[in-house]
Amino acid sequence: MPAFETFLQAIVNGLVLGSFYALIALGYTMIFGVIKLLNFAHGDVYMVGAFVGFGVLSLISGVVGAGWFGLSIAILVSMIAVGCLGVIIQRVAYQPMLSAPRLSILITALAVSLVLQNSALSLTDGKYTAFRTDLGFGGFEFGRLFISHQAIVLVAIAALLMIALELFVSRTMYGRAMRAVSIDKDMCRLLGINVTRVVAITFLIGSGLAAAAGTMAGAYYGSIWYFMGFLIGLKAFTAAVIGGIGSITGAMLGGLILGLLESFGTLVPFIGSEWKDVFTFSILILVLVFKPTGLLGKSEVERM
Amino acid sequence: MKTAITALATTLALGVGMGGAAQAQEDTILIGIQVPTTGSEATYGQDMFNAAELAAEEINANGGLLGREVELVTGDSACDPQQSVNAAGNLVSRDVVGIVGGYCSGATMPTLNTYGDEGLPFVITASNSTQLIPANPGNAFMINSTGADQSKKAAEFFEAQGVERLAVIDQGDSYSQDLADLTVERWESMGHEVATRETVNKGEQDFSAVVSNVRSSGADAVFWTAYYADGGLMIRQLRQGGFRGMIAVGDGSNSPQLFDIAGGAAEGVFGFSNPTAEFLPEAASFIDDYQAEYDQNPGPYAPLNYDGLKLLTWAIDKAGTTDSAAVIDALETTDGQSWLTGPISFTDEKTLARSNFIILEGTDGAWTFYDN
Repeated sequence: MPAFETFLQAIVNGLVLGSFYALIALGYTMIFGVIKLLNFAHGDVYMVGAFVGFGVLSLISGVVGAGWFGLSIAILVSMIAVGCLGVIIQRVAYQPMLSAPRLSILITALAVSLVLQNSALSLTDGKYTAFRTDLGFGGFEFGRLFISHQAIVLVAIAALLMIALELFVSRTMYGRAMRAVSIDKDMCRLLGINVTRVVAITFLIGSGLAAAAGTMAGAYYGSIWYFMGFLIGLKAFTAAVIGGIGSITGAMLGGLILGLLESFGTLVPFIGSEWKDVFTFSILILVLVFKPTGLLGKSEVERM
Repeated sequence: MKTAITALATTLALGVGMGGAAQAQEDTILIGIQVPTTGSEATYGQDMFNAAELAAEEINANGGLLGREVELVTGDSACDPQQSVNAAGNLVSRDVVGIVGGYCSGATMPTLNTYGDEGLPFVITASNSTQLIPANPGNAFMINSTGADQSKKAAEFFEAQGVERLAVIDQGDSYSQDLADLTVERWESMGHEVATRETVNKGEQDFSAVVSNVRSSGADAVFWTAYYADGGLMIRQLRQGGFRGMIAVGDGSNSPQLFDIAGGAAEGVFGFSNPTAEFLPEAASFIDDYQAEYDQNPGPYAPLNYDGLKLLTWAIDKAGTTDSAAVIDALETTDGQSWLTGPISFTDEKTLARSNFIILEGTDGAWTFYDN
């Protein structure tokens, strides 16, 4: 086996995995940025996104089919619906806790995670749900290197969403407000910025991105279940930490790095793929020990 | 407690009454059917009894056995060791000439002694724990393959299909790891090469690393030894990742849901399964008869119990007598007698000489029979 093709295949695998991690990590990082909360329910928001996307696709596949067009609509609807769910979660669970100690709101986040997980468990009986699409298994083959059409489109969608987010944060009024709120909430209030609305928008966007990742992962992997958000949530958190939590570019970078690390990690001799998670979380520990601010994080309060 | 006493009294009364009836009809041959007709496994037990009854009806319709009618007696093991010993005692006291059945290995185990003491022939149709082998006093014959046989079946199948480099993937739990280890061992002892041996974590969704390992190992077949849910994902990702070789799955993946999850990727995938009626071509008329008689589908162990009764009556017929020792001798000479689940011959340990796992193939989104 030519080593070069293995290398390229690992890059392709890492990019696909990395774009899912990055999309979820963005939510972690944005929410941490504005209210300094590690939202451990975020992985489950991703899971809910997958189920909503599945529901929408099942509803409309009779009319528009379950191909790329149908899937795009499913992603879009899921983003909006789950984005709104994120806002509701923030209003109900986090808003009343904002002035409470950090630990209380962290525990609230774990509670929200359990609520989402167990609701999905009771609705689906814990069964795997098959996520059917008409996308097929085609792709480009170069020797032993194989790139599926799905992988290309999904990475492209992820890239588009990330570019749109970057533009939103850097160019629009609410983006500017978001960055300002992340620096100093009280000062923003004094200057007449509607902080509550900015926080709500952050949850809307962050949850929406997770929902997009969930729906895309469902379509790509073909099966969804109530517990799918747990591990990937932790990994996205790791990605956010690697990139520097609070930094949007950092989250994208962290996601991609983690995806690539995982995929190259399994190429190391004597480390089988069952060691993948050990690998990931060892990296998390190393980053926390040696560069707690992450790659792009700054040590001052200024973030986003 | 009161209900228990009532139940006991009723059982005794019935037993005495029926015993009297059996003695009155001296021309019938009594055969005990030890299956759980109560408790958690009652449905399977009832299916097994029904299947044996169908076999007995056929025998009686064809002139009976040694010119006498075959009559079945139920011994309810309830899948419970104590209850099954009681049931075995009842069957022995009814003067049965032999016993067919045995569903839960744990409940079958203690009855081996009861029948052994009486020297009665016992055809074990469903229980397949390898622990039954050393416990066998010599009167019991197992017609269901033990778990270890699956790896043999799999390795032989891969060899017959011209596979040279086999990749084996398990999920790190005892069932799938054991099957994978046994298969690897056998495959290597057959002089073949294991391309790669992978383990994935339960609940993991992304198998891309495994897929590229499989592809770069140059494997021409993959054997997935774990369950259907992740198996479906694995098959899908193998195909999505450009793997074009053969894929086979163990009996833990023998579920229609595999096709839901894997989608079109499961077309042409092979699977191993215990002999379930719906996949046995020989069992087509059996299913019809069963449905006509009981208005439901035969359960997974019904064909084995049908064969069990046929085997015992075949042995009695061959011995020409219902004498226990002669029937056991006849059973030992079993040589490829075949009814629904394929030819039966025994090893020195009185287990099935071949593996009775059948091979299924994924066709149009469902399992279909491929080969015995």
